[in-house]
Amino acid sequence: MPTDLTTADRVELSIPCASDYVGVVRLAISGVATRMNFSVEDIEDIKIAVSEACTNAVQYAFDGEEKQSATIKIICNLHADKLEITVKDNGKGFDQAEVDRKKQQKSEGTAAVSEGEIPTLGLGLTFIQSLMDEAEITSVPGKGTSIRMVKHI
Amino acid sequence: MVLEFKIDLVYHESDISDVPIVCVNGEIDVYTSPKLNDTLNKIINSENKEVVLNLEKVHYIDSTGLGIIAHNADMFTNKGGNFKVVCAQPQLRKIFDVSGLSKKNVKLFEAEAQALAQN
Repeated sequence: MPTDLTTADRVELSIPCASDYVGVVRLAISGVATRMNFSVEDIEDIKIAVSEACTNAVQYAFDGEEKQSATIKIICNLHADKLEITVKDNGKGFDQAEVDRKKQQKSEGTAAVSEGEIPTLGLGLTFIQSLMDEAEITSVPGKGTSIRMVKHI
Repeated sequence: MVLEFKIDLVYHESDISDVPIVCVNGEIDVYTSPKLNDTLNKIINSENKEVVLNLEKVHYIDSTGLGIIAHNADMFTNKGGNFKVVCAQPQLRKIFDVSGLSKKNVKLFEAEAQALAQN
């Protein structure tokens, strides 16, 4: 790995927007983090955070037929002192204020749940922010979402 | 190491009634968690007042898995039942703690025998 902090080795993965590929991402990220000599606990944290970001994209980024040809990109930048991972999609994006409002409703128990829908805890982003040293979520409705996460060695 | 996802449903015979024990093997994520939900739904729709979810052979669980556990724990508790989870792995315990689930309707135990012994 480079010692110059301004450059980094780059590992990229692109997966179909399908739930059965999230496990593949976990294996790849484990490999990258192991290569960087992260501790076992840090490797687990990184796996969970990246998996949650991919799960968010699988569940919410695309609808219907668009989902069948859609992809999710996972870009890893391996610095000397940190691992930076970005999970990106070019799906429908979301309005952060709307997400916050729905989260508030869930915590108050006033959220509407459609028939057959399993209520989620809205934990994905919470895990990312708790388990990684840095987390930045950027989303533009109609353009897509990018979640950038960093774990320091 | 990749483990195949598997759910085994066994029944522990007790003096009062048979307690269903759901033993999960592998990873619980967005792909496999619907299968877990189907199994728990079948148990909730039966006469059982108690269920034990054994996660001793689970090495990964994400927010979709936790959501299903929380949802089913609520359903069980609302029927006056008990929803017990067996989980000793430190990494999984950490996930339960971060999610806050360990403080809600989910009762966590370190061993199956403990879960079955407690009312």
